[in-house]
Formats: sequence, C-alpha cells, structure tokens
Amino acid sequence: MLITSAIVFLCVLLMSIEGDAEQLRFVTWRSEATAVFQRIIADFESSHPGMKVIQEIGPSSSTEFHDLVTQKLRNRDPEMDVFFMDVVWPAEFAAAGWALALDAFFPRSAQKAFLDAPIRANTYEGNIYGVPMFVDAGMLYYRKDLLAKYHLPPPATWPELVRQARTIISQERDPYLTGYSAQFKQYEGLVCNMMEFILSNGGALWDEQRLMSSVHTANAMEAVRFVRDDIVRLIANRGILAYQEPESLALFTQGRAVFHRNWPYAWEASNDPAQSKVAGKVGVMALPAFPGQKSAATLGGWQLAISRFSRRAQLAWEFVQFMTSSETQKRIALGTGRAPARQELYHDAEILKRSPQFQSQFETFRLATPRPRTPVYLPLSNILQRYFSSAIALADSNIEELARTAARNMDRTLELLRDRSKS
Amino acid sequence: MTNRRDPVWRFLLPSFLFIGVFSLYPIIESFRLSLYRMILTMPWLGEKFVGWENYWDLATDPVARGSFLTSLLFVAVTTPIEVLVGLAMALVLNESFRGRGWLRAIVLIPWAVPTVVSSQMWRFIFNDRYGLFNYLIFGSATQKYWAPLAEPDLALMAIMLADVWKTSSFAGLILLAGLQGIPGELYEAAAIDGASAWQKFRHVTLPLLKPALLLALLFRTIDALKVFDLVFVMTQGGPADTTNILQFYGYKKIFAEGMIGYGSAIAVAVFAVSLLLSILYLRLSGAAIMRREPAA
Repeated sequence: MLITSAIVFLCVLLMSIEGDAEQLRFVTWRSEATAVFQRIIADFESSHPGMKVIQEIGPSSSTEFHDLVTQKLRNRDPEMDVFFMDVVWPAEFAAAGWALALDAFFPRSAQKAFLDAPIRANTYEGNIYGVPMFVDAGMLYYRKDLLAKYHLPPPATWPELVRQARTIISQERDPYLTGYSAQFKQYEGLVCNMMEFILSNGGALWDEQRLMSSVHTANAMEAVRFVRDDIVRLIANRGILAYQEPESLALFTQGRAVFHRNWPYAWEASNDPAQSKVAGKVGVMALPAFPGQKSAATLGGWQLAISRFSRRAQLAWEFVQFMTSSETQKRIALGTGRAPARQELYHDAEILKRSPQFQSQFETFRLATPRPRTPVYLPLSNILQRYFSSAIALADSNIEELARTAARNMDRTLELLRDRSKS
Repeated sequence: MTNRRDPVWRFLLPSFLFIGVFSLYPIIESFRLSLYRMILTMPWLGEKFVGWENYWDLATDPVARGSFLTSLLFVAVTTPIEVLVGLAMALVLNESFRGRGWLRAIVLIPWAVPTVVSSQMWRFIFNDRYGLFNYLIFGSATQKYWAPLAEPDLALMAIMLADVWKTSSFAGLILLAGLQGIPGELYEAAAIDGASAWQKFRHVTLPLLKPALLLALLFRTIDALKVFDLVFVMTQGGPADTTNILQFYGYKKIFAEGMIGYGSAIAVAVFAVSLLLSILYLRLSGAAIMRREPAA
C-alpha cells in the first residue's frame, strides 16, 4: 500500500516536472513595488507561450543576497538561470567562472545605449557579464528651507558644508538638529561614503594598473582625517557611526538633519508627506568636493546576469533582454521611481514628469565611479571597512598607522591576483 | 536477555549514525579543508594542500588575534553573570508560591525568541534617537542620548547585555533542575540542626548543586564562544572592529570572501578552544557531572 502510493506520488511529481519543461528560475529580492514586477513578468510569459518564470525571492540586503547567490553558484545549481547582481560582483563572478559572458548576446553596439559607468562595472578583462537594470549613485540631500532662511547657497565644497551646518545648528538652537546624516557603520555603505570623500580630494582607493592600494597616500588620508575631525566631531551626532541607509534617512525625513548623503531612492522617500516631515523642503545635488577638486559619486545599482550553470542560456537571455529593454525599464522607472540604466530614458518626457530630479542627476549617474573592479573586492572591502571605522570612530586614532596597515593588507590580497598573470 | 550485547549495539547504532553524519563528518571535513588553500573567487589558484599554513597565518593575523581576545572577553564576562542571574532565578522559581508555573514559563521567553528577532529588538533599544535604553536613563533630555552601538567602548558591552538577557534563563532552567534533585530531607535535617537560611544554602544547596552549576557553565561557555547572530544583526563587527568576534570573522572569510581554507581553520580553532574548555571544566568538576547523572 505504502509502496504503491509512493510510486503514484513519484509519477505525479515527475509528470508535473515534465509538464512545464520551459521553466526559468529568476533569483531576485523583494522589490518595493512587487506588483510592477509581477505584471512585467506576466507579460513576458504571455509573449512566450508555454514558458513559466519562477521567482525565488531572497533577502534584500546586498550582503545576504550575495550569500544566497554564491551558495547556489558554488554548488553549480542548474536550477538558477537568471539573478540580480550587485554592481560590485561582476569581477568576482567572472573570475570564479560563475557568470556567463554575455558578449555574444550583448555586443558593444547594444551596450552604447546604457550609461557608461555601469557598463564599465559589468566589464571584466574585456568581457561583459551583466546587463544594467537600475543605477545608483551617492547624492547630497539638503534642507532648502533652512539654507534659504540663512541665505546660504547649496555647498560646493566639504568645508563649506561644515561651516553652513555649524551656522544653522548654532542659530536654530534645536537640540534634535544635527548637521550631517550618512552611512558610517562598519559595513559596505561606509566604503561607498568614504570613497566619495577620498575621490573628491583627488585621492583613490587603489591603483588599478599597478594593483596596489592607495589609501596611505596624502590626499586619501587627508580626506579621512576631515571626516573624523570635521564631519563626525563637529556636525554629526555619534549615532552616525552605527547608521545604515534606513536610520540615516529616518533622521533626515524627521527633519533632524540639515544635510544627508544617500542613494537616489531617498528623493521619493523624503518628499512623500506620508513618511516625511520635510516633504517639499528637500533639495538634491551632486556631493561637494574639496576645494579645487571634482565631486565624486560611488556607483551602485543592480544588473541581470545569467548563471553559467543554467541549461537554458538562450531562454535566459530572452528574459534578460525583455527585462532590460527600453519599454520595461521605462515601466519600472514609472512604477518604482528607480533610476533606469538606459541613457535615452533620461530624455523621456513621461519619466521626467514623474521624476524631474533625473534631469539634474543624469550627470552624476554618468560620471559615477565603480568601486574597485576585482575578484577580491569583498576581501578588500572588509579591510577598508575595518580601517575607515577605526579611523573615524576614535577622535585620537592614528590614521597614518591604520592606513599603512590597511594598505599592506590590501597589497597582500592583491598579490594573489598578480600570481595569476604570472601563471 | 541471554544475548545481551547484540541488541544494545543495534539500539545505539541510529544515534551513532546521527552523530557521525551530523557532527563528526562536518568536523573532520572542516579540518581537512583547513589544510588547503582554497579561494572560491580565484579558481586558478586551484585546491592546493598547504599543511598547517592556514593555522600559521591565523596565529600571525593581528585581526584574528583581536577577534580571539574579543571572543574570550565576551565569554569571560557573560558566562559568570548569566550563571549567577540564572541561579537567582532558579532559587526564586524553586520556592512555592502562587503563579509559579506561569512565571517558570515566562522567564523562558527571552531564550525561546529566535536570536535574530531579539537582536533586532536590542538594536532598536540601543538606537541613539528613539531607543528605550536612552529613554530609561535620560528621559526626554534627548541631547544627552548615547549611541551605545556607535561607541567603540560600549558596543561590546551592549551586545553582552543582550546576551545576558537572552540566555540567563537557560542557565536558570538547568539550575532549577539541579535544585529539584536535592532531597527535601537534607533541608529538614539542617533545620533540626538549627541551620540558618544562609547556612542551608552554603552547606546543603551549593555543594549538591555543583554538578548542575558546572553543566550550566559548560553550556554557556560553549554557546558564548559561538555567539554570532547578535553581532551579525547589531553591529556587523564594528565600530572600529571592536565587536568582531572570532565566529563572525570566520563567517566573513568563508561566505563573503570565499576563503574556504582559511575560514575553516578559524572554525576548527573555535572548535578546539571549546573542546579544551569543556575538558577543563570536566576535570575541574572531578567528573561530578557524570557521577550525578544516575541519581537525577
């Protein structure tokens, strides 16, 4: 009896697998607008009769999503066909042989339609591994009303930002008000924030050609010292050292911060009267630079990639192509307010009507800088997180020594790559 | 009953298999991996046998040393506090009063809540703007509010506090079982001899509770050495690397950085330290735990 029912069960199971052979598994995170994605995927399915897209929803934190995706790739899981890829992963996934090179599907001519920065981030050793879906870049949000009240122009340099914040705080006499809110907790976001300070002082995290760290150069250390002595000590509250995006944004939308560094999504959130007390009083601009230097923004964002262990690469590509097409990116931009990766959409009247800030942000997206493109990015990032947090959390930290240690550790990690060119 | 040996082994076999598959195999496999240089993101390096190299790297890695000390500090502070708080709980819960059954169930709640959930809760409690911790200390004087998770001097203490809150009742549970194993006649005899409450505690309760105390210490020490979720949710190792306990460092090495060999060496080191501490406790107890077992 038991055996019979087991056999029946197995047959049913096998038949159900046999029934929809045309299945595509898409590993994604929970979107803020699930319905928009559902409709888009349904449209893809109806344009490909007999095909079913199974969505596997993972955690929305990039680090945890990385754990999930790399676990599948390590196990050579043939079930996963298409997945979301953070902008810092392509080099790692390419070197490990996990992501499929898309050059045959996605030639240079097609790449030109996309913003250059994410295309560069998806390119590793001459091949392309992902198709950009959304872009992110660090921006400065500020309280238009407070700046106007004290007749201050939006700050062009970091020292000016600090001076303005101090003026406003001392005049406002509001014990809740702080000058600067950003992501200074020891995690990936800290690297993004600090990279912007360092680049906007003419420094760099590393020398890509020589595969050497640059964090111990004078300009880089000067920027770190500025963050410790002027930003953290003078205008931010200590809590900033434990903030990720949500906490720092909450401070700003509660009207308790004059300046705020965040990704583009903060525009929608801070102008939504339902969740923000400062709706309509918010300005956004490129981040300041140090005097005589150029502003810099860290590139973020998500791409679609195809697993090298997928047995349906051709179908997977059709799905990726559909998801990153001009029409779909437009629908997503209109539905979610996320910044699209295709250049032409920044001139699209409908999108600009919904998200007028894209007009001025286009330049920031275009010039945003990717974090180091190397298969050892995550080890480097952990070294950098440790260094930056130690340097800015203690008022008397020995920045020079910390920077030297970090540089030595980074060089040792990069050494492993040099072994590769030799072999 | 004549052929006694055979069935005994047959009954034991399933649990041996279980331990073998789920405990022994992972330990041996971790150890094997720890002898290789294996970096997932650099497949061209191959899977090279390097002997003790990972362990040598571990011994000379200043970050690992810092993490190890942080872990030891965590164990040294939380374990005694948890056992003491647990003892106090057990003594109260061993008395008979109305609602004791309810209270026994209630004190276990912190332990029963998944750590990830309670860690998130403690993160909110320690928030520098709206956290309950600040409200209890400073009331509405918000300009004085602290940010415990942002201060290198306080972050580890904040995590320790969360751990004490969470696991003291587990120590209490073990100790309560120990208290209930003490025969009532001993207290009667002590009362007849005119012993005070303190003398009863000192000369009857404490010596007879020793096996349970050691068991609670042992469990808490091993668990504290393995603490992970609190750090993962509350601080991610920061600020200034002050909460980067060894387990979390190992996790980052394996899962984020793909350094399978080195990460496994860290895992084996954590295992070796807990094994060593366990042996130490058992020696100290004079195998009291084993002796008490049949009586309980």
